[in-house]
Amino acid sequence: MKLPLSWLKEYVEWNVTPEEFVERMMWRGFETAGILEEMPGISGVVVGRIDALAKHPNADKLQICTIDVGGEAPLCIITGATNVFEGALVPVALDGAKLAGGITIQTTNMRGVESCGMLCSGKELGLTEADYPGAEYNGIMILKEAHPLGQPIQTAIGMDDIIFDIELTPNRADCQSIIGICREAAAALGQKFQEPKIRPVAGVGNTADYASVTVENSELCPRYAARVVTDLVIEPSPKWMQRRLRAVGMRPINNIVDITNYVLVEYGHPMHAFDLACVADGHIVVRNAYENEKVITLDGKERAVTPDMLLIADPEKGVGIAGVMGGENSEITEHTKATLFEAAAFKGSNIRATTRKLRHVTDAAARFIKGVEPVNAYLALERAIELVDDLHAGKVIGEPIDVCAADVSERVIDVDYAHVNRILSTDLAPERMVEMLGTINIQAEVCGDKLRVRVPHFRTDIESGIEADWDIAEEVGRIYGYDNIPPTLMRGNTFRGRIGEDLKDEDTIKDTLVAQGCCEMYNYNFTGPAALDALRIPEGDEKRLAVKLLNPFGEDQSLMRTTLLAGVLDSLARNFSRKTHQARFFEVGNIHLDNNPDLPEERKMLALAFSGEDENFFTLKGSIEAVLETFNMLERCTVEPGGGEYFQPGQKALLRADGEVVGEFGAIHPKVQKAWDIPQRVYYAEINVEKLRAHKGGKRNYEPLPRFPKVPRDIAIVVAETVTAAAVKEAIQKAPIEVAVGDVELFDVYRGAGIPKGKKSMAYSFTLSAADHTLKDDEIQKAMQCIIETLASQLGAQLRA
Amino acid sequence: MDEALQRIKQETLARLKEVREEKELEALNVSVLGRNGALTEILRGMGKLDKEQRAKLGQASNAVKKELEEAIGARREEIAEMMLERRFAEEALDVTEPGKRRLPAGHLHPMTKTYREIRDALIGMGFTTFGGPEIEYDDYNFTKLNLPLDHPARDMQDTFYVNDRVVLRTHTSPCEARALLNVKPPFRLVMPGRVFRVDEVDASHSPVFMQMEGFVVDREITLADLKGTLDTFVHAVFGEEVRTRFRPSYFPFTEPSAEVDISCSICGGKGCRVCKGTGWIEILGCGVTNPHELENCGLDPREWKAIAFGIGVDRVTSLKYGITDIRLEYENDARFLRQF
Repeated sequence: MKLPLSWLKEYVEWNVTPEEFVERMMWRGFETAGILEEMPGISGVVVGRIDALAKHPNADKLQICTIDVGGEAPLCIITGATNVFEGALVPVALDGAKLAGGITIQTTNMRGVESCGMLCSGKELGLTEADYPGAEYNGIMILKEAHPLGQPIQTAIGMDDIIFDIELTPNRADCQSIIGICREAAAALGQKFQEPKIRPVAGVGNTADYASVTVENSELCPRYAARVVTDLVIEPSPKWMQRRLRAVGMRPINNIVDITNYVLVEYGHPMHAFDLACVADGHIVVRNAYENEKVITLDGKERAVTPDMLLIADPEKGVGIAGVMGGENSEITEHTKATLFEAAAFKGSNIRATTRKLRHVTDAAARFIKGVEPVNAYLALERAIELVDDLHAGKVIGEPIDVCAADVSERVIDVDYAHVNRILSTDLAPERMVEMLGTINIQAEVCGDKLRVRVPHFRTDIESGIEADWDIAEEVGRIYGYDNIPPTLMRGNTFRGRIGEDLKDEDTIKDTLVAQGCCEMYNYNFTGPAALDALRIPEGDEKRLAVKLLNPFGEDQSLMRTTLLAGVLDSLARNFSRKTHQARFFEVGNIHLDNNPDLPEERKMLALAFSGEDENFFTLKGSIEAVLETFNMLERCTVEPGGGEYFQPGQKALLRADGEVVGEFGAIHPKVQKAWDIPQRVYYAEINVEKLRAHKGGKRNYEPLPRFPKVPRDIAIVVAETVTAAAVKEAIQKAPIEVAVGDVELFDVYRGAGIPKGKKSMAYSFTLSAADHTLKDDEIQKAMQCIIETLASQLGAQLRA
Repeated sequence: MDEALQRIKQETLARLKEVREEKELEALNVSVLGRNGALTEILRGMGKLDKEQRAKLGQASNAVKKELEEAIGARREEIAEMMLERRFAEEALDVTEPGKRRLPAGHLHPMTKTYREIRDALIGMGFTTFGGPEIEYDDYNFTKLNLPLDHPARDMQDTFYVNDRVVLRTHTSPCEARALLNVKPPFRLVMPGRVFRVDEVDASHSPVFMQMEGFVVDREITLADLKGTLDTFVHAVFGEEVRTRFRPSYFPFTEPSAEVDISCSICGGKGCRVCKGTGWIEILGCGVTNPHELENCGLDPREWKAIAFGIGVDRVTSLKYGITDIRLEYENDARFLRQF
């Protein structure tokens, strides 16, 4: 909402600085995005008179001007312009002045003569012909009238306004008008709002002789007010009106169009003016569009309208799409002799649907969507007619037409003022509330334990129902000032705050991985079909069940991720391209599967990605084991070959906990790496966090420390390549021996010289012990013999010589 | 004899001063006090003397023996000390050489750090964590929160749609509806999670970001309580010196509504690029819960009151760490992550 200060002053006595105004409005709930100048970015330019002209001694095309800018001594300024003359009043940019486009003017030496500034063209001041006649002339702008020398150019040409760019919250549609925002501004400044008075214009003749209105759908059009003006004099609107329209960002067109725009800005109500000669029988019909109907709108575009849209029509054809745009066939032109001014209230939700369908939102439509009210519609019409009369733009006919199905009677609500105090934690007397509400034109009186509030027509945001107490509390609160309400701590019940187990476990996972040297990633949830293809996810795989967005940014972000992998690879590729080649990453995030008629399934996943010189399948596995150990479940987890197609065959594995698959890990498939242009090996794991949590170990109980020493032993065996480490470990652990075996660790695997092809040497360490005595040599001998025999019989293992 | 004794003593003491090594010392020890040592020889020769002389010489030689034993013992300790010094010199390190780690340091994402800080501050005030899905019913995301289908404020939030009744949640507020429908009041909940808006990515916008919703339902709870709660939270996260500003605003699900600004932590309130010269930065929206929301979720708004606030975790993170481009928080550049 653009509010020119000059316009504000019409309704409010201005008694503060612009900065203080902005601050006060902020405390009322109105933020100011910026303070604009009518001539943006121009400073240090004043009126000067050329007292003498002389040729530059060293340049044919330059002239030396002696300029009086009202200072003690005249200035010497050099110009290349040819339209200057002695006695001319011109805009002079002084040393340090700022011009359009961010140019700064400084004293310079031009071919041996010092020039203390610059004479300006209109263009250099950002002016157009409309702002000042002659501004677009290719040369220095010559001022037409007498002005005091040294006066800022803004003041001289009447362009010294400042404009507040105020941000409105959607509940205050009434403030999308100069009058509405000034009403709030007056209250914020502690001033009385000078309520505008519209002078009713008595028309001549009988309206029925010229026009009539039928509203067929009063639900979508609760009020349609209109008035006929004949004998139009189409001409440019007066300068003051043009200036105001330009100040709020509108382009002046002609007096009739400008009046409708002016009223739109002033009263916030969109209007339209039809060429009455183009309306068949002068009869306006407000109706739903027919099947297959088309309307060519003011912008020259043919638009297909549908029966759920409301049209303004005459008995033969559509002349406009209600609330959106008028028809080209009834547009005001320089030849228009008579017009019908329309000010109607249309239902916002219907206009919203129409604009969505047409994919076209106009300023007018935006207002209707935010909500207009029927009383203001009529005021807008009266104001437009007053302006027509003031501007002598035509002859006002008869009485206004007013088809009104809306209830425009005053609403009265009863508010529990004690409740208002309770909501705000204040202790305001009801009389004080009445006084406060009065400052924003809400009349109220105290009736017993209630406030009887007369809701002004423009405050459609104040409800009659349950919300009334809260609505009034909000008004009282912001007038009283939130700042004046001292903060308190919550009383009443005491609560034991706690972190849910799920989030606590998430913390544990993250902390464990940070201790493993990993950095945490946050990737977006979006992915695309091409990424799923690049990940080699087969048709029919559940990872193909991606949730699709109806309005994505693009194809590559049209799906919700079904694996964290694509996002992780994106980030890895970015890191590699930025020369980070060694890194461990993890991410905890949700994936979604469209496998449910209601909401999609949401799964929290943990991704790990290791890459760099020192990383391999087993460094990754080690960090996974760290997490499993933290959750006291490592002993119950197994690993077996398996996993998705994005892994390299032979270097991928499934992770099971208590037999259930909880995740997978492995080396990323070279083809997948290639798709992401990743030059080095990546080891990746993805684990279902909820499944992992389901298998975490319970409370740990203390086990007595062993009283007798454990005897460490190493053993190296030669086995076939197909024998797995897990099998050897199990065989050692389960060998039928009488002493306890523990701490079984594989510490070396060797292939090569001395070992037959197809075989490998595996070296294990473990401990032997007994709970009740120190092992004797023969016990150790026996146990070792048994383990060796077990390995030989079960796995065909030979002791390595 | 006596003379010989004195000579041995003088010689030994003199040689002792020269001895530098443990081995030399022990050799000297043996050559004087050992079984065939000089002193032992003298004692051995005592048999030839008469009783009186023997006693006298015995006394003298014992005194010399004791004296020498003590001197050798002292020298032994000195040499041990010297040996240690020598070892220390040999083993001295350049302590400024870099430390060696088996693993590089890992780092939590700054957003996780912020989230934990906010969460822990609220837990301390009796809040418990609660959650809801990222893909949510339109009904919970909007309608139940007093944003019916044709409400103009729906345009405030550009929504990603899955279908006409399912959306990517635009805020964590649908968790409020889920809490009201599933948790018996009174309660204090903190509801963290990702939210989504149709915002093109730039330095201050991201289509995916993280919010934390605070929601309190009790019989008596007021705007002043909301102010107190948020002041406490801000001071816990940003420090006691930071000031807050509570500005009237509008949200469909709260009334009265407010936006909370904190004094700019980057310039200390003097005005800078980050706070756009105002000295203040908006960090959250809040308010007293709108009675329609309570009613829509089956609670009588005359019996129960609620306050709610939604904190932008990304924003708070940016402010805490002086991050001027929100895109960095989702690029996962290791050089960025390793700073936290």
